[in-house]
Amino acid sequence: MTATAIRAPHARVQHGPGRRRTFRRRHALTILGFLAPAIVFVCWFTYFPMLQGAHMAFRDWNLWDLTSTPWVGLANFATIVSDPVFPVVAGNTVVWVVGSIVPQLVIGFLVALALWRRFRFRGLYQALVFYPWAVSGFLVGMLFRWMFNAEFGVVNDLLMKAGAIEAPLPWLAEPRLAMVAVITANVWYGVTFFAIMILAALQSVPDDVLEAAAIDGAGTVRRLFSIVIPYIWTTLALTVLLRAIWTFNSPEIIYAMTAGGPAGRTHIVTTWMIEYTQQGSYGLASAIGLAVMVVLFVFCAFYLTAIRRVNQR
Amino acid sequence: MNRTRAAVIASLATISLFALTACTGAGAAQDGAVRLQMVESLTNPARTALLRELLDEFEAENPGVTVDLVSPPTDQADQKLQQMLQSGRGIDVLEVRDSTVGAFSNNGWLYDLSDDVTGWAGWDDLTDNAQAVTAEDGARYFVPYGFYGLSLFYRTDLVEEAGFDGPPASWEELLEQASAIQDPSQNTYGYAFRGGQNGFSNVVAAVEAYTIDDLDVEDAYRLEDGSTIFSAPEAQDAVDTYFSLFEQASPPSAVSWGYPEMVEGFTNGSTAFLLQDPEVIATVSESTTITEDQWSTAPLLTGPTGKAAQPLATAGWGVAEASEHKEEAVKLVEFLSGEEPATRFAQGNSLVPIIDGAGEDPFYSEGPWSSYVTMTEDPDTYVNVVQPRGVSWWTEWEQKADQDVQAVLLGDMTTSELLEAWDTFWTEKYAAEQ
Amino acid sequence: MTTLVQTTRVAPAAPRRRPSRVTAGSVARVVGLALWLVLTLFPLYWVVVTSFKSPGSINRWPLEYWPSEPSIDNYTELFATSSFGTFIGNSLVVALVAGATATLIALLSAYVLARFEFRGKGAVLGAFLLTQMIPAFIALGPLYAMLADLGLVDTKPGLALVYVAMCIPFSTVMLRGFFENMPDALEEAAMIDGCSRLGALFRVLVPVMAPGIVAAFIFNFVNCWNELFLSVVLMNSDANKTIPAALNGFISTFNIAWGPMSAAAVLTVLPTMVLFALASRWIVEGLTAGSVKE
Repeated sequence: MTATAIRAPHARVQHGPGRRRTFRRRHALTILGFLAPAIVFVCWFTYFPMLQGAHMAFRDWNLWDLTSTPWVGLANFATIVSDPVFPVVAGNTVVWVVGSIVPQLVIGFLVALALWRRFRFRGLYQALVFYPWAVSGFLVGMLFRWMFNAEFGVVNDLLMKAGAIEAPLPWLAEPRLAMVAVITANVWYGVTFFAIMILAALQSVPDDVLEAAAIDGAGTVRRLFSIVIPYIWTTLALTVLLRAIWTFNSPEIIYAMTAGGPAGRTHIVTTWMIEYTQQGSYGLASAIGLAVMVVLFVFCAFYLTAIRRVNQR
Repeated sequence: MNRTRAAVIASLATISLFALTACTGAGAAQDGAVRLQMVESLTNPARTALLRELLDEFEAENPGVTVDLVSPPTDQADQKLQQMLQSGRGIDVLEVRDSTVGAFSNNGWLYDLSDDVTGWAGWDDLTDNAQAVTAEDGARYFVPYGFYGLSLFYRTDLVEEAGFDGPPASWEELLEQASAIQDPSQNTYGYAFRGGQNGFSNVVAAVEAYTIDDLDVEDAYRLEDGSTIFSAPEAQDAVDTYFSLFEQASPPSAVSWGYPEMVEGFTNGSTAFLLQDPEVIATVSESTTITEDQWSTAPLLTGPTGKAAQPLATAGWGVAEASEHKEEAVKLVEFLSGEEPATRFAQGNSLVPIIDGAGEDPFYSEGPWSSYVTMTEDPDTYVNVVQPRGVSWWTEWEQKADQDVQAVLLGDMTTSELLEAWDTFWTEKYAAEQ
Repeated sequence: MTTLVQTTRVAPAAPRRRPSRVTAGSVARVVGLALWLVLTLFPLYWVVVTSFKSPGSINRWPLEYWPSEPSIDNYTELFATSSFGTFIGNSLVVALVAGATATLIALLSAYVLARFEFRGKGAVLGAFLLTQMIPAFIALGPLYAMLADLGLVDTKPGLALVYVAMCIPFSTVMLRGFFENMPDALEEAAMIDGCSRLGALFRVLVPVMAPGIVAAFIFNFVNCWNELFLSVVLMNSDANKTIPAALNGFISTFNIAWGPMSAAAVLTVLPTMVLFALASRWIVEGLTAGSVKE
């Protein structure tokens, strides 16, 4: 997906213009046939319901009163933006995405670097350390909710044993602490993904390049910054982008740990949307959903353009 | 090229295969057998098991009818119900609550049982209260299975240790006792405060207790003079006392406590007082942390004038308008409302029963239930009041009110601002209604 | 991840070994790895310990870091009060079927998107990228209504269909990366030998990129295994619920039963953990094969 945009400058064009025309006729059916199942599925079960959902954003659509669902134009968007919770939610979303991604990237990168060089038991280590990725976000949320439990949680107990706090902290009830708790859970959850992706990218760095640099007398740190990172940076950039989109769109952990509370202080846009959905306010929920898509789309466009610019330089 | 075509056909075949296999599985009525789908909303495992037991008996009595029970998690149940009702498929019998009946019937999703119920053999066995709540604007959309009312769960051992003779009778006494018991260093807290979902309901209960002398008992958000209860001067005392409970006598994490957390906070032994429906008796009895002689219940808390307002809530079974098997569905509701099943269901879930005379069963005068008897025997002190749960803006209100309660707990709002906001909200809604 | 692809050979891991010396760097590396191991495993340790505590001792001070009276009560209660075995079976069936179907479909579309230039290609890729930005909740209501009309609500095939659609975009992009790393010559040779394109794809390319396909399948499987909201909305009866929806149901009206919840968590995590342990090398290898450089 993203690849097209990035590789556009030197896209693979192997066929001359003449060959291309025949190629088209000959292969049109292949292309269509091979793509059809994917397109049918995605249109049928993703886009079609999405568009149906999106149209509710412009109507007063509340499940508690479906006797009239008039078109209201942009009124739902106005309601959302003027909600006093809105600035909190918007700020939280940024904190949630940045606060999750940056530590995930840094720790993930360090873990990948440490795993890069073969060592005994590396396979075992990987097997043990990669499992969080296989756990559902909801379950991760539940595990951390239990660990951060104010009365019988292990986090409070450990902190008290270590002398860091004197009395148990109400982790999930105090707005700032709750935000720290949900982000901690998400960082723990997401490091694996970065570690796997970055490790894979590191392993694709050809040996000869590194060896040449080593012979030139470049130190470890310098090799890292002048050779390795430039080599894998597109992977890094794209992994960060994809992860940012997913994090933005993933309410499971917050949903499981605080459901956006207390008083909406840990809501991000998608958990906020869930709350509206559960209240039956489909119109407002859809308006949030549409806004999310637009924001992400614009963000992606800027991000990909930036990557392309850098790559062209 | 042929292979290509084969690929297309193969993938389309996969899709249709999925569709086909699905259709054969979906609730088809084969050889005249009827499959009813029943959806509950206040789900908990023990209750579901009991309900299933009753359904099995119904199936045995009615050969050819099977009932599938769907038990969505409580916090999603309403959304699920609405979705099923709207799609008009896969739902025949459902749990209808006093707070959902208005919206569901308004949307045309519920079948009017009026013509059926009066012919039931057991109809006259129902209490007047049960018959009365069924009727709404000349129609009957559900038959209640019981009533919920508040009582105070308390830890007998902790109250005694703190030097008190018995449980608190009023909100003031509760504050006093809970503060005395509170000892965070021992992980012991006074009151299982409800700060999360539905937290407003207890605030309103306190306000009603303080304004009871002027309260319009038929529309318990208003005083007899038509103004809202939140505008009364006594309301300020009520909320101040109530929120002091949080300040002085509750676990700090209670800011976000909803139903499960409160009950958990009581059953795990960390809080001494819990204001809840008698429904919770069953759950607390199963606690592995506190034993039977460590807890009991007391009547609902009174206000300064020595009276309490009991906001009776109710729920029951209704039939979906879209059901294709209404006859059998109505039969099921009739069965569940019959004397024996209804009594068992009410007792199993510790509900105030719907059957006339069932409250005189020894079951209701023993142990934790004795406070219920105290309350029913003294209706002048424990006044039953009706809250306007059926209004169309009830969900909007619930949401707003909960947010405001949390805002007060977090110090973003004062108690007088809260009352002012609530007064404005209801005054405007009532005015718009006229 | 996407693609992250370009012509890359699978490089035999890592820089050559240098004579091992104890340096500050290697100490930091060992300490760091150890620390991360502990942090990663701690939640798992804690949930396992919780699950084996006797019901009364879960809420008791001081906290026990090893169950003083180990018991399997939580497990027996889990199976007594819920059909947890059924949930595991449902998750397994749905994730396997949907994961495999999506991988197969994505294989076809990825191949075309990697090998041909055609009008609308950018649009197709863009549309796939866009699916990642759609918040699931916007489509849930209409999806329910749609499946209800097809008689597919509360059925495993219905959920699987939706999951297939959910998995296709990402696995297409991922597999496309692998195809782009395969020289055209491979299947061209096979086609000259008389294979059809589909034949060439399956007989020549697929075996070569097996690790990548496995990696894509595992991605899909894990996504389906973990998916919560679609399952919660589309499944009604216990006979059809998947594990995440069932876990969600554990937070029932009355109590968050941490004991049985922990037991359920252990049983949910273990199978995927084992799968991962076995496949972790393949996953990294597969992703490396499809990895970008630039």
